[in-house]
Amino acid sequence: MIVDQLILPLLMVLVTLSVGAYIVAVLDRLMAGAFGAPRGGNVWLAPLTRGAWLLTQHANATEAPDWRAWRLAPALYLALAAIGLAVMPWSASLVATDLVTSVVLWGSVEALATVVIFLHGWSANALLTLIGGYRYVALGLSYILISMFVLIGVALPAESLQFTQVVASQEGLWNVLRQPLGLPLFLIVGLGMTFWGPLDLADSTDLAGGTASEVSGPPRLVWDIARAAMLVAFSGVATTAFLGGWLGPWLPGPLWVIVKMLAVLSVLLLLGRWLPRLAPERCVTLMWVVLLPLSFLALVWAGAVALWE
Amino acid sequence: MTLATLLLLAAALIGIGLYGALSQQSFVMLMMGLELMLNGVMLAAVAFWAYSGAGAPAGQLLTIIVMAVMAIEMTMGFALVVAVFRGKQADTTESLSGLKH
Amino acid sequence: MTESMNHGIGVDIAFVLLAALAVISGWRVFRTDSMVRASFFLLVSFIAVGAIMILLAAEYLGVAMFFMMAVEMTVMALFMVMFMMNPAGLNPMNMVHQERIAIGAGIAGFVVLGAMALFAAFPERPLPTGLDPVRSLGLEMLGDSMLIFESAGIVLLATMIGVVVLSSHRGRYGAAAEGSMPPGLAPGGDPAGKSEEDEEAGGGHEHHHH
Repeated sequence: MIVDQLILPLLMVLVTLSVGAYIVAVLDRLMAGAFGAPRGGNVWLAPLTRGAWLLTQHANATEAPDWRAWRLAPALYLALAAIGLAVMPWSASLVATDLVTSVVLWGSVEALATVVIFLHGWSANALLTLIGGYRYVALGLSYILISMFVLIGVALPAESLQFTQVVASQEGLWNVLRQPLGLPLFLIVGLGMTFWGPLDLADSTDLAGGTASEVSGPPRLVWDIARAAMLVAFSGVATTAFLGGWLGPWLPGPLWVIVKMLAVLSVLLLLGRWLPRLAPERCVTLMWVVLLPLSFLALVWAGAVALWE
Repeated sequence: MTLATLLLLAAALIGIGLYGALSQQSFVMLMMGLELMLNGVMLAAVAFWAYSGAGAPAGQLLTIIVMAVMAIEMTMGFALVVAVFRGKQADTTESLSGLKH
Repeated sequence: MTESMNHGIGVDIAFVLLAALAVISGWRVFRTDSMVRASFFLLVSFIAVGAIMILLAAEYLGVAMFFMMAVEMTVMALFMVMFMMNPAGLNPMNMVHQERIAIGAGIAGFVVLGAMALFAAFPERPLPTGLDPVRSLGLEMLGDSMLIFESAGIVLLATMIGVVVLSSHRGRYGAAAEGSMPPGLAPGGDPAGKSEEDEEAGGGHEHHHH
């Protein structure tokens, strides 16, 4: 019983976490090469060498940081990514924890990510990390609302807050077609959650690395893995919520999930390489003035469609 | 985990919260005390729902209402802090003595 | 998890750990030097209570605690930094008044409520098997108790309007701080603000009227 309910799910989440983070690193390097950035070494080996190099480096110390919070923040961000991977189903029965409110749990992962990233920036007791943390709170408070409305829209046709039911409700028509506004808005949320590419406000280069600017050595490795793992968890949830999860012809369910996750990951990484970074104030204006009303519209659309069906 | 232990935990949270609400000088810390008391109240409500309410849904609804009360308390508290700070540059309860004499 | 009466030993262990976490972090809120740390200790206490609610089969309420409190405590931490001295906790901090009375009241509250928990006879009516807590809550909120639920929504809306009125800088009759600023130290100078000397002078002023 313990093996079935505790060890196997844990193992599944850990394997997805590590393999997924590695794939993100490789994919991002491939994209960088395609966009003409100089490529250092072998694409497949480079993430591993960088990881090994970070492990042997000295962990930087600032003056009087909040040690506990500073060291815990990367680990907590990784744990949040693991929670995301734990609630996404691989098939109708293969899911680490089939909580009946898993959609809401993912919403709280998004909210807690704001706390953790702010803590990461605040606890280093340094100027640029603190600015990064504040910027992230502004971004986080903006995207959480958008994400809530989009996720409620997904839960409506399923008449359930459970991701497995959400997938089951897409048997006839995937949500990406049923609610055309949902997936684009949700992808923006994903870029915000992992502060990737155009929404990289917290760890941006204009802040010399933002919340991570004072972090080196093993904590930096954990932080980088956590960001990549969060991207994987997000792509898993996006697959489940909008792309029909395990549904699809010919292939077995889990393979379909992997294919769709890779597609979402490629789109996110492509957007990250392709779009320029937004200025923080413009980003917040865009979120509240344009995207939030659009998410209202998406919810009204979802409700109307659910009634009509 | 029995009803008695759950209620004891709720009582401990309410006690700590009461201490905080009465002893803290700064407005925001005082609000934290109130929140901790509401935390205990919500736990007690859910415990009663699970152990002696026979699953009546109104028990869960009570917790939702307490959450709404909490949000209202927080926003009103922050608005008052902002208004008082604008007016008197004060952030502690002692500095408000306008209605005392 | 529908029968919470016949739970296993794992649930009991989890409950003891979570209860200890909730109480200790709740106590640390008022014993830490940093305001930001205090608000996140409070968040930890809420999360522990939310997890206990999930153990009690209230799956929606427990998870709702996580996201409600995550956002609330982030905002609270920011307010802390805005309004407090010493947000980082680099210096020791202890801003309390009437501490003995407060400690006494806290202990008295715990003893009275704890005695009620131990000695009162509550009916023993556990959750019926086959109850779907989330569905029953949803049906209650948008069914029999819709009026209560919607009133809560209206009250929240009224709160939002009231908060904007209270905290916005300008109203119809000018700035919010109009007439309540202390006079300047020099004619046309900056407002005096609140410093130690001002407080003393204000106290002395009241005594003159005596």
